[in-house]
Amino acid sequence: MAHIVILRSHCTGCHMCEFACSARHEDAYRPSVARLFAEVNPTSGDIRGHSCLQTGCGECQAACPVEAIVTREVSLKVGGAYRSLDSVPVEQRVNILMVDEERGTNCGACYEVCPTGVIHQHPDRQVAFKCDLCSGAPECIAFCQNPYVLAVDLKLDKADRRVAED
Amino acid sequence: MDFYQGKILRVDLSAMTTAVEPLRMDWAELYVGGKGLLFRYLLEEVSAGLDPWSPDNPLMFFTGPFAGTGVSTCSRLVVGCKSPQTGTILDSYVGGSFAPELKFAGYDALIVSGRAAAPTLVWVKDDVVELRSAAPYLGMKIGELEHALRRDLDPRMQALSNGPAGENLLPWACLSTDQAHKAGRGGAGALMGAKNVKAVAVRGTGAVTVGDAKAFLADLYRIHEEYVFTPANMWAHEEGTLALVDMVDVAGAMPTRNWSQGQFDGIDQINSAAFQKVRLKKRACTQCAIGCRNFHVIGDAHGEGPEFETVALCGANCGVGDTEALFRFNLACDDLGMDTISTGAVVGLATDMTEKGIADFGLRFGDYAAYVAAPELIARRQGIGAELAEGARALAARYGVPELAMEVKNLELPGYDPRGTFGMSIAYATADRGGCHQRSYVQADEILGGELPPDSLAGKAAVNIHWQNFTSVKYSGIWCEFWALELEEMRQLLRHVYGRDLSDEELMRVGERAWNVARLFNVREEVEADDLPRRLYSEEGAHAAGPSAGRSIGEAPFRAALLEYYELRGWDQNGVPAEAKLAELGIDWRP
Repeated sequence: MAHIVILRSHCTGCHMCEFACSARHEDAYRPSVARLFAEVNPTSGDIRGHSCLQTGCGECQAACPVEAIVTREVSLKVGGAYRSLDSVPVEQRVNILMVDEERGTNCGACYEVCPTGVIHQHPDRQVAFKCDLCSGAPECIAFCQNPYVLAVDLKLDKADRRVAED
Repeated sequence: MDFYQGKILRVDLSAMTTAVEPLRMDWAELYVGGKGLLFRYLLEEVSAGLDPWSPDNPLMFFTGPFAGTGVSTCSRLVVGCKSPQTGTILDSYVGGSFAPELKFAGYDALIVSGRAAAPTLVWVKDDVVELRSAAPYLGMKIGELEHALRRDLDPRMQALSNGPAGENLLPWACLSTDQAHKAGRGGAGALMGAKNVKAVAVRGTGAVTVGDAKAFLADLYRIHEEYVFTPANMWAHEEGTLALVDMVDVAGAMPTRNWSQGQFDGIDQINSAAFQKVRLKKRACTQCAIGCRNFHVIGDAHGEGPEFETVALCGANCGVGDTEALFRFNLACDDLGMDTISTGAVVGLATDMTEKGIADFGLRFGDYAAYVAAPELIARRQGIGAELAEGARALAARYGVPELAMEVKNLELPGYDPRGTFGMSIAYATADRGGCHQRSYVQADEILGGELPPDSLAGKAAVNIHWQNFTSVKYSGIWCEFWALELEEMRQLLRHVYGRDLSDEELMRVGERAWNVARLFNVREEVEADDLPRRLYSEEGAHAAGPSAGRSIGEAPFRAALLEYYELRGWDQNGVPAEAKLAELGIDWRP
């Protein structure tokens, strides 16, 4: 299991992860369709990250009546510094959940059940869109590289934390 | 179109109509965006001799080409008009999230003209613009107002709002966004209040395109690695502007007790170390990887800031050597929507006048209760606020002590005392919007780690000109102060916009062009001559003690430096840009 996490104690609320995510997936800057977001309360300073927990959650997959949310294996690649890992294990393969756009009917069941609010209908297409870990090289982590911040991180199952030499 | 949206949204409050028009791309090419582009539009649309409180005074909001893209710090917005506080041209900058949101809604700029018949909320959701009643929000302070707007309009909306200060037309009322971010100086909030607008709110779900976004992203990674995450910039994250407090105090340039001293004996209660003890976290504006803002908690008081200027003018200048008192004063100004520099200056002046027995405003250096209560009174024009709301110049003149007011062109001076950093004398005298430090950073060269002597004016005219031109192109981008970028970085980024490399000369000319447009505006509006409070250059005004003791610029050297400044700028002896200079800069406007 692997998923993106926004670290509340480190995040400054700059939303650059959302900018980078949209640039990668939409070929333009459009954070309203980013696949993760940082919810900021400017009065209290509190920041809550919203990111897909992938196979660690699976509610969307369970709710989908046409099996359009599929489990896929991706190969993680090194890109930037990760707070929790000295380096991303080379050739580390992890499972994520992806939307099969051919199968999806836009019925909305997944939008309803998502506990983190990170799967939505795309404004330009009649289909759901969600985080796919950028096929293994997360853009959000790559862009959050202020050495004092490093707020976007990758959470791996203990079993997946193999060393590079393996 | 890439980077720019190519569109301006116009709102006419008198007619209650809105319209979208093309951005003048010929001007965008010459002025880039931000400061320069705003100034060209202001020069065009403000009629000569206009009363700045008139409905015809346009309130303009301009972004830069990089707002809404991954370029760190370029999320800044510039707000402008003919200033109701100074009568000069005004450019007032603010971070937060508004500029990117305006771009995502599809606009490079917003221009609001006229005056609404009833309190109004301007609500822009992509291409739908509504002029709603602001009745439910009247009287609200900023924090409460923003929560209400998020609840009533959209949880992800961004707004530029007026607090009670702007509703009451305080001449230095400021526009607020993201709770603590302010388009601080020059009274943009006062003009918004005069237009009967409580807030401009925007939500943008669209996109800003940049051509090949993947290639641009790759270039941004390199630029961030090479030019952003460096020690030269990371101080801003580690400490923020508070890092300047000790440096300015050590130089004897800290305005203290209404500019009567250059060093404050209570500085260690209000410096960076004092506030680090109560820091909860770092915050950032949208689209900024540096993240300079400090979020503090003291008892039940919490929020961002204070920044350096607030520590100087509301702290040392008011004789406040108390972390909590200063923190609460800052939070009060923020929630009421009023510029902390002007507020601190006026409170410092009023306290000085009370101590000297010239008047009795019930303020004493060291009486923190009366001090913390002052912003609310000023914003509401109640009690002592009724008089203090006139500003430093009018207040001091009223009581026959004009020499006690520290202002230029009616803009109260910020936190660098020229007696401790001589070059700032020219900076304050010649700044486009009045007594302002944020155009020429000669103090950086003199007392903040630079090599130039702080007690000499030799060569400082040229240094001021260089800085002013440089910051003018920087503010056209609109890059934030706290990215210490050079022309090379600007060139590398603008390469994506222009499709070619702008030379150093071309880039500095963009800045010089904007600066001359401002001068044309101020000359046409017959703004008062460039000058400085006498105390700051005369021998009698020299500090008696401290690191800058006994130093004075001298009137003759100051006046000579001003003339040298005009000559180097290609202006006549009265500071009027010559035809040759306008032609050289390609400015397509003549008096």
